[in-house]
Amino acid sequence: MEFFEPVLNGFGVVLEPTNLLYCLLGVVIGMLIGVLPGLGPAATIAILLPLTYGIEPVTAIIMLSGIFYGAQYGGTITSVLLRLPGEASSVVTVFDGYALTKQGRAGTALGVAAIGSFVGGTVAIIGLTFLAPLVAGFALDFGPPEYTALALLGILLVATVSNGGRLKSLIAAAIGLLLATVGRDGFTGESRFTLGSLSLADGLDFVPIAMGIFGLGEILYNLEERHNKVQAPAKVANVWPSRKDLKQASGAIGRGSVLGFFLGILPGGGATLSSLAAYAMEKKRAKDPSRFGRGAIEGVAGPETANNAAATSSFIPLLTLGIPANATMAIIFGALLIQGVTPGPQLVQNDPELFWGVVNSMYIGNILLLIMSIPLVGIFVRILRVRPAILAPVTVLITLIGVYTINNSVFDIWLVIFFGIIGYLMKKFGFEPGPLVLAFVLGALLEESLRRSLLLFGGDATQFAGRPITAVLLFVFIVVIILPFIQKALKQRTTRNSTVTNDHKESV
Amino acid sequence: MIHSKFARRSTSALGVAAVLALTLSACGGNVANSGASEDGTEFPSGPVTLTIGQDPGGSTDLIGRAIAENASEALGAPMPVVNKPGANGALATQEVANATPDGQTLILLNASLIAITPLAVSEDEAVTLDDLDVISGISQDDYVLVANAESEYETVEDIVAAGKAFNFATTGVGTGSQLAQALLFKQAGVEGTDVPFDGGSPAMTAILGNQVDFATIQLGEAMPQIEAGTLRPIVTFSDERNQYLPDVPTALEAGYDVPVSQYRAIAAPKGTPEPALKKLREAVSAAFESEEYKTFNEENLFTPHEIDGEQVTEEWTANAAKYKELVEKYDIDLGGE
Repeated sequence: MEFFEPVLNGFGVVLEPTNLLYCLLGVVIGMLIGVLPGLGPAATIAILLPLTYGIEPVTAIIMLSGIFYGAQYGGTITSVLLRLPGEASSVVTVFDGYALTKQGRAGTALGVAAIGSFVGGTVAIIGLTFLAPLVAGFALDFGPPEYTALALLGILLVATVSNGGRLKSLIAAAIGLLLATVGRDGFTGESRFTLGSLSLADGLDFVPIAMGIFGLGEILYNLEERHNKVQAPAKVANVWPSRKDLKQASGAIGRGSVLGFFLGILPGGGATLSSLAAYAMEKKRAKDPSRFGRGAIEGVAGPETANNAAATSSFIPLLTLGIPANATMAIIFGALLIQGVTPGPQLVQNDPELFWGVVNSMYIGNILLLIMSIPLVGIFVRILRVRPAILAPVTVLITLIGVYTINNSVFDIWLVIFFGIIGYLMKKFGFEPGPLVLAFVLGALLEESLRRSLLLFGGDATQFAGRPITAVLLFVFIVVIILPFIQKALKQRTTRNSTVTNDHKESV
Repeated sequence: MIHSKFARRSTSALGVAAVLALTLSACGGNVANSGASEDGTEFPSGPVTLTIGQDPGGSTDLIGRAIAENASEALGAPMPVVNKPGANGALATQEVANATPDGQTLILLNASLIAITPLAVSEDEAVTLDDLDVISGISQDDYVLVANAESEYETVEDIVAAGKAFNFATTGVGTGSQLAQALLFKQAGVEGTDVPFDGGSPAMTAILGNQVDFATIQLGEAMPQIEAGTLRPIVTFSDERNQYLPDVPTALEAGYDVPVSQYRAIAAPKGTPEPALKKLREAVSAAFESEEYKTFNEENLFTPHEIDGEQVTEEWTANAAKYKELVEKYDIDLGGE
């Protein structure tokens, strides 16, 4: 029973009215931006970072994570109703979801997606509940050498995390590492790249970089992109899927949960990859694959379950090891640091209320989403009608005021604008901003841990291999070098499948 | 059609540009304290801002807030606390030193920034008291050398007798934690590698996990672990025994010349009119006298050191000179490795 005590206390934390309110707020915002095609969860969380500054850490993270998994639900709505994926992870849902809408079964598709998302999310939280304390048992064994290996692993994964080209990701990551070296050297007191400015003595702050590159950069980029004219959404009837539909979808939901959970833990995996993989798997398993693209319920259930499971399980590496698995996690990492909480193996022990509060809030958040997602569909779709000419300036204003309030520093506003332009140019030229931000976050950890380890080892690098956890991590490091090739093969297969699907659609 | 589309796009782009410009001009503009009189007779003429060069939640921040809360009544004006972290407090100190000397802007100073950090960073980044009028000293926060409770070392003598090299964790480069340990080990003739961590909490985790042999942290941070029996205090680095750890000897008692503590003071820009300084002194003293503030000190294990401004300048200058002399005498380079 000892194990369950902190878990139950965590529920006590979530059920405090403030936390419930912020959980609700988070999932509503998440759903909202899930519906809007331009703004992703990473950008939204980055923009809202300053808002979390004045509230309790646990409350802040409950809200931010709500935004993240809420967006997975929201993305589904537009995919199904308008053939307009709000998030990259809902792209494959378009194929069968929209086909179902055309058949007048939009309600069924949304219902199955919501139920699948709920199941997938819940399975992943249960996994998180049991896996995290296991890792945390090794907490005090994590010294500088272990962190060095972890950071190395994380940075290597940066190269595989993005959807863009490998070379471009590496370039972005290298810039991120370089940016991490700005500031006073923590070991010699020497100033590096500060241009004599005391504002830079502590290095570049994470928040202006994230807000600039993800927030401002994305807004600027979206101004340029004209979105498809919004069609009138189809009437949604029959929200509750029939027993037959559920029976048909249940297998896909089960498989999607497991697949999503594991792909989510893998850094670089995440929601998008797992939805693609789940779709491919369902199609391969089906007795009659030709149904896919013409409204196969499994084609909605599988990917939607998997992306939610993955969104949740990607919290595992962050909360247990302090290693963000994707760009959104990197920003939540930053949010925790602002709050004075360092995510890592010590988190479960040092801050059980925060840890279990956040984990358990996901149960509640998923229930809230399930309840909301269906009746509110009409309202969310209407958001799409807000013109970018109104939305963009308002968001920019919020971003800039927000960043000023963190350190009361005008310098930070300039930084946001500078990195906003960088972010815009990166998107424009096909560089993923994710690797840059991830490498920036991990760069300082890598450098400091490495130098600290070498001090402890008296300069003898071979001692890394003598520490069991470090040795295992370095072994994984090598395994991961091979991993992208497997992913690549997987992706190629999915692309081939979706080309086939498109052919189907045209023939309908 | 194409034309109208283009027109719309430029409207939105213009909108963004306008917002950017507006925000910048609003934030860049200096919100002047209207009506502040030059001679300070009408002080305070509005809220008195207390700037803190550290992050919210740390000991410096807590002290600043406790004073601001209890001083504002006697001052007759609200006393908002603003955190401007950066360069260990140098950024905020520089900003306040350059502010209008009307007493409306104050800074909470850490002695280490004046007396120890200059030993580690380049000269043009060092901060001095020359540009400030110190209002009052505040309190003393002691450093304690700790070992893991499982460790076999209980006294400095044990460490010396072991005759081997050790790793010790510090809370960062240019801190009292680094200086105190470097001096102690050097004087004792113990070979030690100093491993800087990013603050007290990571340093403590390292010693709890046996990653290092010793660590020096501030008492407030170490106390819960000392009480829990997981960390063992070896010496404190204050002049006299710490009132909260009466059984632990000081380094001086153990025979080593290592008087290092963290002191804090409150200051205004140089040239603040005397009437304003007087009023501020009274307000700060009133805060010191309040029960709330006294309880705060006890709870956080701070020892009151409420000396006047001139004494602060004297003490800190003397400390700076002493540290410099010691560092030179024992050939210690805080910056190098």
